[in-house]
Amino acid sequence: MLKVNSASLVYQDQGRDLFACREVSLEVRENEFLGILGPSGSGKSSLLYLMSGLKTPSSGQITFDGKPLSGMDDASRANLRLKEFGFVFQQPYLLGYLSAIENVLVAQPSGGTIESATDLLTNLGLANKLHRLPHELSGGERQRVCVARALMGNPRVIFADEPTASLDHKNGVAVVNLLNDLRGKGALVMVTHDPTMLERADRIVRLVDGHISEPD
Amino acid sequence: MSVRSVDPPAAKTSTGRRVLTRPLAATTYLLRNAGKSIPLTAVIVLAVMLVAGIISMINSIPLSIRVIYNYSREFTGITPRGDAAKTQPILDEIKKKSPIPIERIIVCRTTATVVQSIVGKWPFYIAGLEQNDLQYYLDRQGSKSLEGRLPAAGKPEAVISRPVAQNLGLKLGSELLGPEKDDGFSPNSVKVVGIADTERWVMLTSIEYLQDFHFPPIDIGILCAPTPAEQSKLDLWAEKYFKGRPVAVLAYHQVEKDTNDMFATLYQILNVVIGTLVLVITTMMGMLMNIYQSQRLVEFGLLQALGYTKKQLLSRVVIETVLVVVFGWLLGLVAAYGLLNVAKRTLMDPKAFALNVLDPVAYAYSIPLPIAILIVAIATVVLRFRKFDPIGVVERRIV
Repeated sequence: MLKVNSASLVYQDQGRDLFACREVSLEVRENEFLGILGPSGSGKSSLLYLMSGLKTPSSGQITFDGKPLSGMDDASRANLRLKEFGFVFQQPYLLGYLSAIENVLVAQPSGGTIESATDLLTNLGLANKLHRLPHELSGGERQRVCVARALMGNPRVIFADEPTASLDHKNGVAVVNLLNDLRGKGALVMVTHDPTMLERADRIVRLVDGHISEPD
Repeated sequence: MSVRSVDPPAAKTSTGRRVLTRPLAATTYLLRNAGKSIPLTAVIVLAVMLVAGIISMINSIPLSIRVIYNYSREFTGITPRGDAAKTQPILDEIKKKSPIPIERIIVCRTTATVVQSIVGKWPFYIAGLEQNDLQYYLDRQGSKSLEGRLPAAGKPEAVISRPVAQNLGLKLGSELLGPEKDDGFSPNSVKVVGIADTERWVMLTSIEYLQDFHFPPIDIGILCAPTPAEQSKLDLWAEKYFKGRPVAVLAYHQVEKDTNDMFATLYQILNVVIGTLVLVITTMMGMLMNIYQSQRLVEFGLLQALGYTKKQLLSRVVIETVLVVVFGWLLGLVAAYGLLNVAKRTLMDPKAFALNVLDPVAYAYSIPLPIAILIVAIATVVLRFRKFDPIGVVERRIV
């Protein structure tokens, strides 16, 4: 479904090439939970941004359903992110002037159903907090709203970038379990430095200095 | 595209609470962030009010002068130069030669006094008319009624109109001219015996009184055409006919021209001031918009990361900006109208100074303001969006 073929991401730092990812190749299969594990600075997040079309590789190729992302224009890549991908970031970013349920509906600009958003938030234990504004929710609750937003519209791939980074261990495990349980037929790609968060992953790849060091 | 919708459609959840099904509609941010959007709108309102208010007040200066001399719309004045005995022969010649019908020819004498204009003391003429012309003249000036009576022949008496009474603080029995008055001298105390109810500025006395006590001994001919259109034609004909001859022709359009010439420099200065004001306000608004949008970087970054295009986000920002600017401009016009009404009632009306609270020029002058603000605001956002990287936000490098 989603293939990374020898992709590299290079930054220029005072005239020197700095590799965030170096010739990474991997595949995300339908409905799998793929964990990408690595220490801080290993290039996990950069790889996630490449896979999700947020960044373009300096070399190599990423394809989704056989179509290279680099061949798409910005609008098509954005449309792909909106319709086929879901995102959970390290920080539980929500729009402060929208309620929890409205934040979830943001993921469906063509008009998501209130019922789906309500069901998602209910399954995430937020049934009585649908109309709360983000500042009225705890950190864990905010991240669960982000999970609901990522799951809205049944995306085919959900990218989670250290989704537990701002949570305590218990809440972190809960969020990962909810993501995994509610993702339906969508694949889950999660990067983390904490191996305990990937206990339910189908596969784990380890990243060190931008390289895949060992496939699971 | 839903993100561009102006009105946020809403539905209800099972709990009965209202939820926006398109939460990124343009009005949502503005309405739910009133603490930010109201001050922004208020700055535009104040700027528009300031510009429209200043222009209206400045325009009231020539307007007031023109209003003072509005009475001359009703006739063409003819006076000989160098030979006081020529008035009647000139009037006889006009009777024979004028291609425009003349309803009435009035012979009058004048003397000068002053009224309080918006720019200080301003000369004004008291006309001395024959008894049978006094009421005709007042009727022609739109007098609806007369409080008191007309001045008697040869007596030191005058009839004035309501704006004059208001301007000089006169009432029945007040002294209009007198031996002690430098600005309005007459050897006798000329008392107000009548106040005519008309908007025009009028001061009349009997021709006999002016002939007996005032100089120079020159009769002026007042030519009254049947209609305003014919009056204008008569003005133009008389000017052309007597060109090069020792005859002065007095017409209302000369007052307009003189007033415009008189204030031409003032308007040039005003244009520079308004231009500077618009520049300052626009720069200020541009900076405010920049700060306003900078506070939303996380929102823009997040939405872009989720899959909204820069174009969609920019469209939303443009619609929001247009809404704020247009609403602020319209509200500014209403505020300017309110402010001008207050100024008219408290400052202008007591002295019968003219102020057009619906001056189209004043409101037109405020138009560049929203346009300039819009251009600066949108340009600021476009520049910001061009360099904007959503990853900076989601990685928390830009918050």
